[in-house]
Amino acid sequence: MKFYYQQAFRAAILLLFVIFILKLHFTGDLLKFINPKYELLSLFGAAIFLILFFVQLQRVWGHAHHEHENCQDHDDHHHDHGYTAFNFKKVISYSIILLPLFTGFVFPPSTLDASIALKKGGMLAITNNAMSSEEEGLPLEVIEDDPTIIGDESSLPDNESAMTEEVPPTNDNPEDPNLYSNTISQEEYTKIENEMYNTETIEMTESLYSTYYEMININMHKVEGKKIKLKGFVFREDDFSANQLVIGRFVITHCVADAGILGFLSEFEDATALTEDTWIEATGTIIIKDYNGTPLPVIEITEWEEVEESDQPYLYPLTVEIM
Amino acid sequence: MSHRYRSTFIDFTAILLLGVAFLLITSSELIQSMIDLPASIYNMNTIFLSILIEAIPFVLIGVVIAGLIQIFITEEHIKRWIPKNRFMAVTMSCVVGACFPACECGIVPIVRRLLRKGVPIYAGIGFLLTGPLINPIVILSTYMAFGNNLNIAISRMVLGFIIAMIIALLISFFYNTSQLKTDQFVPSGSDHIHNSGSKGFSKKIFNVLTHSVDEFFDMGKYLIVGCLFAAFVQTYVSSGALVAIGGDKIASSTAVMMGLAYLLSLCSEADAFIAASFKNLFPTTAILGFLIYGPMIDLKNTMMMLSVFKTKFVFIFLFIVTTIVFSFLLLVQGLY
Repeated sequence: MKFYYQQAFRAAILLLFVIFILKLHFTGDLLKFINPKYELLSLFGAAIFLILFFVQLQRVWGHAHHEHENCQDHDDHHHDHGYTAFNFKKVISYSIILLPLFTGFVFPPSTLDASIALKKGGMLAITNNAMSSEEEGLPLEVIEDDPTIIGDESSLPDNESAMTEEVPPTNDNPEDPNLYSNTISQEEYTKIENEMYNTETIEMTESLYSTYYEMININMHKVEGKKIKLKGFVFREDDFSANQLVIGRFVITHCVADAGILGFLSEFEDATALTEDTWIEATGTIIIKDYNGTPLPVIEITEWEEVEESDQPYLYPLTVEIM
Repeated sequence: MSHRYRSTFIDFTAILLLGVAFLLITSSELIQSMIDLPASIYNMNTIFLSILIEAIPFVLIGVVIAGLIQIFITEEHIKRWIPKNRFMAVTMSCVVGACFPACECGIVPIVRRLLRKGVPIYAGIGFLLTGPLINPIVILSTYMAFGNNLNIAISRMVLGFIIAMIIALLISFFYNTSQLKTDQFVPSGSDHIHNSGSKGFSKKIFNVLTHSVDEFFDMGKYLIVGCLFAAFVQTYVSSGALVAIGGDKIASSTAVMMGLAYLLSLCSEADAFIAASFKNLFPTTAILGFLIYGPMIDLKNTMMMLSVFKTKFVFIFLFIVTTIVFSFLLLVQGLY
């Protein structure tokens, strides 16, 4: 009987990966890394790791000549089985594999901030969205004054009621009820669209932010003069005047790495008082204004207050079922 | 040594390892309080881990499939399945890749295993190129990201498929050998004792899984380095500055978008949204450059390919893919 400490080491690494993923899952930190839609997939990953861990355990104790018993195939064996002696190269390899475990357990996950917003293109991305306006936008048919479709937020898809248990009842900015599926039908999409064009004050809730955002940018003339209420973090570009800032949000398709920046250029007197990365909740009026030659929907802020970073800092795009 | 003793030892080891793991976790807060780093490092770490967490399930599925191929598919199978004709083989591999819903990290271990089993290099490359690029999820996400516009999604698939065919055919003229790296970790000595006689099914499954473990440790380090590079670029390189280089010219903007796709190393299922955020700044050709080039090769993927192929081959491959995608898109730019 022999103890293969390198095999034990590998088993430990596999186990640590399992624990790491489960830890993120149970602390809710996973939401700081990936779109919750893929949460099950990551648990599936943890399950495979766990199976591999149990398989690996079988190799920790063995007979002296146990080494190659498992190799059923022939001459094409060119990977490390973990039986050869430790050398410098292996130390490097294992250090690399341990790196994400170390930083994952030790460093707190951060929320993307203003500096990343700028790296992601900042105003460039925001301007780009506004440029889709009208000329190549979706053919939008707004059914004016249809009383049946006005302001019935509660009819939005909320089939995932399991989600609500995480939300304290006092929270006036509830987490997206649709967080784990983010799927709506074409019909519901049109309905949301019509609601938005007919309402007085557009509320940029977390579940509808990205959808509304797209609609506002495509049809800014239809929403000009409407009131808007939104929440986000502050960032600035170098060429802003003193009363300008962006109230921005990140939208995540898969993981934080593919985050895109959404936001509105906003103007108000106190803008200078706000430092970057401050979260604010603001109300204002949508006007259309040129920024570097492109007309943008800009918000004239009338009321604002500093708030805590949202419990759900990121937005997730709605998927419209096309079938 | 009796079997019972061995399993007791295994249990004991498991408990011990669990203990070590918990010790690490509980002491993490303490270590955390001792380290103070700039915010950008934490951002980079978050991006790094997020790419890794996103990639891991796909990589694991990849290594398990690779393990299955290793144990259940023989070289004779491969010989029978792959057409002798080079053109047919390339076509077949591209079609199989298009039907196979893989992502770019998961596909590398599978291709390696296939090549080891005697699949010709050009067929392997065809599969490698179309696997992540063409699949239902990618089509759907591209369609969504571009304001429910089918044009871009269809162009991405069709042009991508043609380009993959061209590249795989080119490779077939240049290379006949597998180009696989002969690994530095060849097990010591030639005491490979094989009892290749028939074994039970559960034994086979066990072998599949031990192979998967080895494959994971082999590939994992390259994946991690790739993720780290991509996270570094995302944290410290401004895409706005890159875009400024692009300008209005089709050639320069296509080059810039391809460069961006390479550096960002996004998953093919999630890159469409980012591409869409550039759609009004750049011509459609440049956007397609981003959408087609990214899934074929990127920074993270290059690192993973280095774990499999000879370094020289990886660089030549990179060169061929870049040239073909770039020149092909410029040729068809009249369409957009």
